[in-house]
Amino acid sequence: MQTIDITLTVNDQQQTLPVKSNDTLLEVIRDYLDLTGSKEGCGEGVCGSCTVLLDGHPVRACLTLALEADGCAVTTVEGLADEDTLSPLQQSFIDHGAVQCGFCTPGMLISAKALLDENPSPDRQKLRQALSGNICRCTGYAKIVDAVAHAARPESGCPDCHTKDSGGDHD
Amino acid sequence: MTDYSIIGKRMPRVDSRAKVMGKARYTADLKLPGMLVGKILRSPHAHAKIVNIDTSKALALPGVKAVVTGADTEGVKWGVFAYTRDQQFIQTEKVRYIGDEVAGVAAVDEETALAALDLIHVEYEVLPAVFDPMTAMTTDAEPIHEEFPNNINIHVNIDTGSVDENFKKAYYIREDTFTAPEESYFHGEPYAVAARFDADDCLEIWMPNGGPHMKSKPLSNAFKIPLHKVKVRKITIGGAFGGRSEICPADYICALLAKKTGCPVKIVFTREENTIATRQGHAMITTHKTGVDKEGRVLARETTCYMDGGAYSSTGPIATSVPFLSMEQAYRMESVRYNGYRIYTNKPIRGMIRVHGRGFACGLDTQLDMIAEHLGIDPVEMRLRNSRQPGEFTSTGSQVWSCAMDETIKKAAAAANWHEKFGKLPPFHGIGIGTNSVQTGFPMGIRGGSQSFIKFNEDGEATVMSGVVDNGQGNENMLVQIAAEELGLLPEDIHLVSADTETTSSDPGSYSQVSTFVGGQAVKNAAANCRKKLFDVAAKILKTDPDKLTAKNRMIFVTDHPEKSVSIKKTVRVALLNFTSVNAEGGYWPRVDMKREWVSNPYGQMCEAFSFGTTIIEVKVDPDTGQVTVLNAVACQDVGKALNPLVLEGQFEGSVAMGGQGGMLTEYHDWREGRCLNPTMLEYKVPLACDMPEITGIIVESVDPRGPYGAKEAGMSIAMSAAQAYAGAVSNAIGVYMDSFPLTPDKIVAAIREKRQAVK
Amino acid sequence: MRLPQFTYHSPDTLEGVLALLDEHRDNAGVLAGGTDLLVRMKHRLAVPKVLVSLKHLDTLSYIKETSEMVSIGAKTPIIDVIRSNRVQQQAPALGQACERIGAVSIQHFRGTIGGNILQDNRCIHYNQSQFHRTGRQPCHKDGGKICYAREEADRCNSTCQSDGAAALMALGAQLNLCSSKGERQVSLDAFYTTDGIHPFDMQPDELLTRIDIPIVPGAVSVYQRLSFRSAIDYPIVCAGVRLVPDPDDAGCIKSARIVVGAMGRSPLFLAKVSQSLAGKRFDDIAAVAQAGKDAMNTAAAFAAHNAGAALPYRQAMVETMVIRALELAAAQASMKIAR
Ligand SMILES: Cc1cc2nc3c(=O)[nH]c(=O)nc-3n(C[C@H](O)[C@H](O)[C@H](O)COP(=O)(O)OP(=O)(O)OC[C@H]3O[C@@H](n4cnc5c(N)ncnc54)[C@H](O)[C@@H]3O)c2cc1C
Ligand code: SF4
Repeated sequence: MQTIDITLTVNDQQQTLPVKSNDTLLEVIRDYLDLTGSKEGCGEGVCGSCTVLLDGHPVRACLTLALEADGCAVTTVEGLADEDTLSPLQQSFIDHGAVQCGFCTPGMLISAKALLDENPSPDRQKLRQALSGNICRCTGYAKIVDAVAHAARPESGCPDCHTKDSGGDHD
Repeated sequence: MTDYSIIGKRMPRVDSRAKVMGKARYTADLKLPGMLVGKILRSPHAHAKIVNIDTSKALALPGVKAVVTGADTEGVKWGVFAYTRDQQFIQTEKVRYIGDEVAGVAAVDEETALAALDLIHVEYEVLPAVFDPMTAMTTDAEPIHEEFPNNINIHVNIDTGSVDENFKKAYYIREDTFTAPEESYFHGEPYAVAARFDADDCLEIWMPNGGPHMKSKPLSNAFKIPLHKVKVRKITIGGAFGGRSEICPADYICALLAKKTGCPVKIVFTREENTIATRQGHAMITTHKTGVDKEGRVLARETTCYMDGGAYSSTGPIATSVPFLSMEQAYRMESVRYNGYRIYTNKPIRGMIRVHGRGFACGLDTQLDMIAEHLGIDPVEMRLRNSRQPGEFTSTGSQVWSCAMDETIKKAAAAANWHEKFGKLPPFHGIGIGTNSVQTGFPMGIRGGSQSFIKFNEDGEATVMSGVVDNGQGNENMLVQIAAEELGLLPEDIHLVSADTETTSSDPGSYSQVSTFVGGQAVKNAAANCRKKLFDVAAKILKTDPDKLTAKNRMIFVTDHPEKSVSIKKTVRVALLNFTSVNAEGGYWPRVDMKREWVSNPYGQMCEAFSFGTTIIEVKVDPDTGQVTVLNAVACQDVGKALNPLVLEGQFEGSVAMGGQGGMLTEYHDWREGRCLNPTMLEYKVPLACDMPEITGIIVESVDPRGPYGAKEAGMSIAMSAAQAYAGAVSNAIGVYMDSFPLTPDKIVAAIREKRQAVK
Repeated sequence: MRLPQFTYHSPDTLEGVLALLDEHRDNAGVLAGGTDLLVRMKHRLAVPKVLVSLKHLDTLSYIKETSEMVSIGAKTPIIDVIRSNRVQQQAPALGQACERIGAVSIQHFRGTIGGNILQDNRCIHYNQSQFHRTGRQPCHKDGGKICYAREEADRCNSTCQSDGAAALMALGAQLNLCSSKGERQVSLDAFYTTDGIHPFDMQPDELLTRIDIPIVPGAVSVYQRLSFRSAIDYPIVCAGVRLVPDPDDAGCIKSARIVVGAMGRSPLFLAKVSQSLAGKRFDDIAAVAQAGKDAMNTAAAFAAHNAGAALPYRQAMVETMVIRALELAAAQASMKIAR
């Protein structure tokens, strides 16, 4: 089958790639670029594990043709950290225990980033809504919500953390 | 209480950094040179004879490298027990459910592999199929497995105490039947497996697993090769919930394709395959007849449970026992008779989900609430009157050394303001409680114990080898914490080599809640042995006795004179200069009654420890639509000892979501003639962030005398009790006890309307 | 999951798109956001040989307002509809419907309003993998002769689960369709066939370009829907209503439009039930209750057991959805009067 060249700026790096018309953006970033952080959890736009930012907006990479992304900027989970320095959101996920099996984490982080980029201080309900396109089977979302709330308002300590009995020295 | 430096601390998990960076590799992310894409041809029929398979057209398709069928196998059947070996990895004579493996294909890419599947011509002779356990037991049709007449796969019978006499003594007796349909895991990660044979004909294989050693043995049997030739490698795993423990036919098919082609092969399941062709939770029909005295204490109980087992045995004998076990562990009963039947049907295979056999789905707590109401007893008080106490024996003779069940009930009730709320809430607003107990491990023969090996590196850091696998629950962090605590190092000094069958000794896997209790204990023992060696050397350096030393924060010091110290790094170097090794091993075998057997002898010490959990849920029900809003969730568990509260809370919260919110409100499978109508999470309603309430987690520590630092199991008792709490809360809100789970809005509305009708 | 093979075009102009549709007709598929089409393609429920992408037709992405109507370009992303002040003011039911579509990261940025209306009808027996659909007879919509959702049905009873369509029908929207031969307007009421296989009265060479929502002075509109989850969940029943107050007596309903969705092959405009409210007062509880009952009795007959939840439940919930929508609309109307 014929291939067509597309230009993608993936995590700030511009690349020209030959793709097939029926390649999805997810297949291209995982298979051609070996950025396997974005996951295929269902392939039908349901689970959210493949969520990436396309020109700053969260989309399902499994339901986006690679050709449709031609000329766009793509941010994947691999693009969140600055080399070895984690973004505050990533750090907050770690500190709050928001990561268990980790399969949903990349998509969850991207959806959270999209939210905070637009609305730097969402309330918990908004936050839950923004994460409702991402299915997590391990955490019951509690610590994920805490982590994003904290990343949104780090200066206020951890007032949003539901984990009251903190006995804790984690932050 | 002992002062630990790392144990008991809220420590962010060691594996999370790679995960938030997208660097953690799961099986589907693996790429090996020359790797082919594998796909499995599955039966589209629920029950059919295979008359003929013609693979010639598929083989002729350019790009197809191999096609395998049952004819290519050694014909070995899989079963968890010798008496349940009923499943071939590729079927040869007949297929028993929609999804049964019929052939495998390896090709250069996915498109070619899929095209090849379409070109395999299978001629079937369709047989009558049964989809319901009650029909399956009475049908005249050909049984699903010849060796099992009436399609009864397993019958567990337990009878203790004088049940019939006690019923005569009872003040009040009631009998109720509860039903619950199948449910599924919906792990984040769909199943995947990658395999290759190396130059020495060793099989190297990667897949999500609940224990690598649980995979290597059946693979070595299936290929008839020695165990050392099967190297199950470590890989990040996207959730298990019990669904990754058994060997999966895809493991074998993938390896067979790799063998045939001489190339690495990877099979990645679709979401649908993950649902229908791994395992599911049993559908259950359970009847409890319970007799109590005036105070509500259970004198006699007779429970009969019919479990829809699907097409093969899986962990059948265990699954068929667990509904009973949860009950006997959590509650005292003077006498009890249990008959559990696992019945074959032409549906996907049921195994363990969270725990085996879905104890909560049997409605025991609902019936307790009904009895309590009849006697005018508060549900919390009802539980306290029947709750397990420390030191007691369960009905089948397991001693319960540590138990803080009462404390979980009281603390949960206090945190949820139970006494201010129960019976005082406005209409359609309700509160409910669930309690449960889960066993930590059980007799598993030679693979019941775990062994660990620890070596010190010259730089004073340590490498820990353990067979324990992390499915996402935080086992790696647990091992690191234990090793660091024991060795006096910091978590970052501990390097794990784990979950690899070549380099680690056998281990039961993260199976039946034993990772911490058994695997963690093995590491603890190995580390203690290693520390002893260090102390021998350090004692000489510090001119003192080894038993006067303490190790902490990379230093060894004299306990009473902390200023006298030497670094661990230096101690290691001194040891090496003096020809002393600083490696050690250690192991742990749970002291259980090895004569206890699920079917033939279900009596004796079952496992070493039991966890106890209480969940309280408060809900509001929309009486017009039946939709439930959860206002509050309190989850309280006796975990023995909290090794890491941060991780424990996460387990509690996940358990409330999966066991309660999903398990009791929205999740169930829908079928048409054995075809699963909701194989993806679009129609199978896994809860979302907006659906979940805020959750209060309360940790209770009974400090088990045998657990590592006193630890037992974390989370499972919550998963099991949460479902019951949800059921209780909804029933309380609408004033109707529900007996058909899950409590979907249609059932709730129907119940409300029926009640209104009755009042009129 | 792999998509089938196709040839991809992304013309720069409307004319270019129309020419391709004209050339390839039944073999062509229009790709807007793709969040409906690509899923069906993955399941091989649709295998267009040619995909014509609207990627470059930014001219079809807008929300405009005149004194008579709000016009929305077919390619407008759902998120823009949700955030539009014009929609919030003149057609709140549409905004409420769009908010409930899928989830933020699924549809709202890629999914379009045109694609939402034109998404194919759904059925739990049909929207399944290729594997699921083998080993049994194909149903009507799948090229066969039976129906799994309703026994003995001689035709397909797939369900229109578009949130947007139900709201837009309640708002009395018109569609603007273009082909290389010209342009035509059709009201959403008249846009549907009674055939679940091809639910829209639309030619293969036609493109939806614009949706016009009439502005009726004083009108209030509300959308209500039910699903089992807070997001990523198609409606199992929904209702859109628009109430227009009498200019001479603001407490009185001049006309009503009641539409029930996710209950049949198209959203159902219940003309008679709507009519029954004309002349009634906004706070006439009995009239509203009766309308709810009548709506349920009328709509129930259309539904088949193919949308996840138990059919009797969905049918019963029509009443609740309609009553709630009417009550909320009445409350809005009285607030408008108060202002
Ligand atoms: C997980 C999930 C959940 C969803 N939940 C909902 C939901 O709750 N409610 C709901 O309503 N929808 C839902 N959807 C469906 C879909 O995402 C939305 O309807 C979306 O708005 C469709 O827009 P699109 O642009 O992506 O459509 P596309 O997939 O691009 O198009 C849909 C159909 O319309 C045709 N089409 C599109 N634009 C035009 C045009 N201008 N002219 C002619 N033909 C055209 C296409 O050829 C195709 O057949 C869901 C989808 C997914 C994957
Ligand atoms: S309604 Fe009947 S014919 Fe139509 S898609 Fe469903 S099963 Fe097929």
